Amino acid sequence: MQFSRKNLGIPYVVFLLFFVVAPLVVLFFYAFTNGQGQFTLDNLVGFFTDANTLGTLFYSLAVAFVTTAVCLLLAYPIAYILAMSELKTKSVIVMVFVLPMWINFSLRITALKEVLTLLEGNLARYPFLNAVIGITYDFLPFMILPIYTTLSKLDGSLREAAMDLGADKVQTFLQVTLPLSVPGIVSGVSMVFLPAMTNYVVLDMLYNSTYIMGSLIGSYFSAYNWHGGSMIALILLAIICLFTLLTSNGEENGERGGALL
Amino acid sequence: MLNKSIFDALKGGIPRDARSAGGRRAAALAMAAVVAAGTIGGAWAGSALASCSPIGSPLKALAAEAGKSPVVLRVCNWEEYIDLGDWDEEETIELDSGDIIGENSMVKDFEAWYEETYGRPVKVEYSTFGTNEDLYNMLTLGDEYDLVCPSEYMIMKLMREGQTVPLSEHFFDPSDENNYYINGVSPYIKRVFDEHEIGGEPWSRYAAGYMWGVTGIVYNPEIVSREEASTWKIFENTKFNRQVTIKDNVRDSYFAAVGALKADLLTSEAFTSAPDYAQKLEDEMNDTSPEMIAKVQDYLQQIKDNVYSFETDSGKADMITGKVVANYQWSGDGVYTLDQAAEDDFDLAFAVPEESTNIYFDGWVMLKNGIRDNADKQHAAEAFINFCSRPDNVVRNMYYIGYTSVISGGDDPTIFEYAEYNYSAEEDEESEEYDLGYFFDEDGKEGEYVIEAPPEMLERQLYAAYPPDDVMRRSSIMTCFDEAQTASINQMWINVRCYNIKRVPWWGWVITAAVAAGIVYLAWIRIKAARRKR
Repeated sequence: MQFSRKNLGIPYVVFLLFFVVAPLVVLFFYAFTNGQGQFTLDNLVGFFTDANTLGTLFYSLAVAFVTTAVCLLLAYPIAYILAMSELKTKSVIVMVFVLPMWINFSLRITALKEVLTLLEGNLARYPFLNAVIGITYDFLPFMILPIYTTLSKLDGSLREAAMDLGADKVQTFLQVTLPLSVPGIVSGVSMVFLPAMTNYVVLDMLYNSTYIMGSLIGSYFSAYNWHGGSMIALILLAIICLFTLLTSNGEENGERGGALL
Repeated sequence: MLNKSIFDALKGGIPRDARSAGGRRAAALAMAAVVAAGTIGGAWAGSALASCSPIGSPLKALAAEAGKSPVVLRVCNWEEYIDLGDWDEEETIELDSGDIIGENSMVKDFEAWYEETYGRPVKVEYSTFGTNEDLYNMLTLGDEYDLVCPSEYMIMKLMREGQTVPLSEHFFDPSDENNYYINGVSPYIKRVFDEHEIGGEPWSRYAAGYMWGVTGIVYNPEIVSREEASTWKIFENTKFNRQVTIKDNVRDSYFAAVGALKADLLTSEAFTSAPDYAQKLEDEMNDTSPEMIAKVQDYLQQIKDNVYSFETDSGKADMITGKVVANYQWSGDGVYTLDQAAEDDFDLAFAVPEESTNIYFDGWVMLKNGIRDNADKQHAAEAFINFCSRPDNVVRNMYYIGYTSVISGGDDPTIFEYAEYNYSAEEDEESEEYDLGYFFDEDGKEGEYVIEAPPEMLERQLYAAYPPDDVMRRSSIMTCFDEAQTASINQMWINVRCYNIKRVPWWGWVITAAVAAGIVYLAWIRIKAARRKR
């Protein structure tokens, strides 16, 4: 067999088969069978008729939504200021924002726990707030970086042109800079929103005893209900697919829009 | 199932037979290998024959042949649940019967001891699990272990499913001095293991105890009174709103909720003085009627907003740092918490609720899918249990992990001495008598095993490590529920922990509607813009 560059992809294909495709097949099998191995839709129907699982989905979406919004509100101004400034030390400041990512995750959350206890007095009284703060703390760099990258690659002459044509600063920002930075926002949002729905470790460590999607799946498995657990994992996967589909469309449009402007 | 020939040999009651029977088997194997490996040729076969034939004894042949093939023993235990060695030199435990220090891990020491004692090398593949359910899932997925150490209810489940291998008769033969388990197990524990049955067979036929304890409350005596801590109702006590932790697992929480819900009955004079109190208590605490499960769900949902958290491990640290004032704890972890706090001159105490306490046991069982009728493996597995039950090793493990061993030591005083070393008062100190006869004495008599302890110890580590008679009297084993019961209790637990959609307030729906409308609107203008550009 002649060696071609395609062959270099073989290790990845093997990896894909074993660690992505095969588990997915197993997941599908468990999700659509019952204890006796017969085909059933009960798990699917069960999820959408149970007030508790639906409530958990709602709660996860709420946590993820609020977290993403907070991240965006915090990250955008920082990224904007950094990208627009003429500072020579810019890269150092960016590094400062990324620095927490170099420290072990559970260590960071443990430290956060102490800080929050100091601020709030008793952590357990604000479970939802803690979840939002914890996940924001954890994922903020993932929001800052893509927005910063998009903004700093932005061609400054576009803004100058807008100013020349009589737009004031606010108009320039709203009609030029913001639309052009949409791709960064979209990739930041998808990097924060999806993990936030399942990142139950943060909730556990900050004493929010309400399940979100991740912990719900775990609880089904420790209750030996692999079928129900697989179905919830699958539903989560479907939500993620839907979300990715929507945002990737947006991204293309955004880029095209940028080019046309 | 036991290998037939070795089983017959063991029935003979002469422990050495076990070895020679194994030896004969091994020698036969070696011979077969020599014949089969004829083509491999001279050197190896020659040396094997040379070492085998002149001596002529199967036992020696075993030793010679064994040099080439160690028995592999796959052990799976709780995390941090055995002495892992590497103690500092000043950590020596000075007892009258000899100093104790752990240099190597228990597993390494076992390998050396086994080869020395039985003349054949053993290789232990040691791994750990986090919860009983994790272990069970690992087994379901096909992981193979020879010897595992789950809690009593999981042992019952494995026994009921026929996954376990019975312990050999030799294991229970007190005449073999290497049988440390049967010679040292506490009479109290032995009785529990003999009297409790599942599927018509006593636990003791399949399981050998390792550590045990009761459940209770670690509390800060400056803020919580002993009375307040001595009831499962502490979790609903609004005085400690958001300052008490409960366990993040369904069985412990269920037990506490049942105890709290039935508190009036369980503490009534008529109930506690009934002649069949022990049996009745166990029935009440293992009540899984649908009405009870529904009540427990309501109760747990209600206390969810009163407790600090449902925790698995963080409770110990939160207790020590003072984030919480009381904490549901297994007695072994209770001792650990109290010890750690004491190092910072912070005094905590341990109480056991008046209603009832869950007495638990972790024990060794051999698994069929690991042992697979291999007599050598079974021999090594039983030897491992015995080695962990040797009094000096028991002390090492207890010191290292903080739990109380089921071994009392029999004629060997080491373990009682260790309790005295830990808990007895200094000579010039005020002291009170604390009787451990139920645990250490062959006939459960009082008087022989008495610790002169400082009074505060009776509410602290000693009380947790070896609970007094009255606590033992109100202890109840939480049984292994059948599948339907387990399923409904698990579902109850998930319901407690989930956010019920009916709890979403009206403004929650308004915001949701607004957000949804916003997303739809954004999508719509995007699509429109895209169409226009095309």
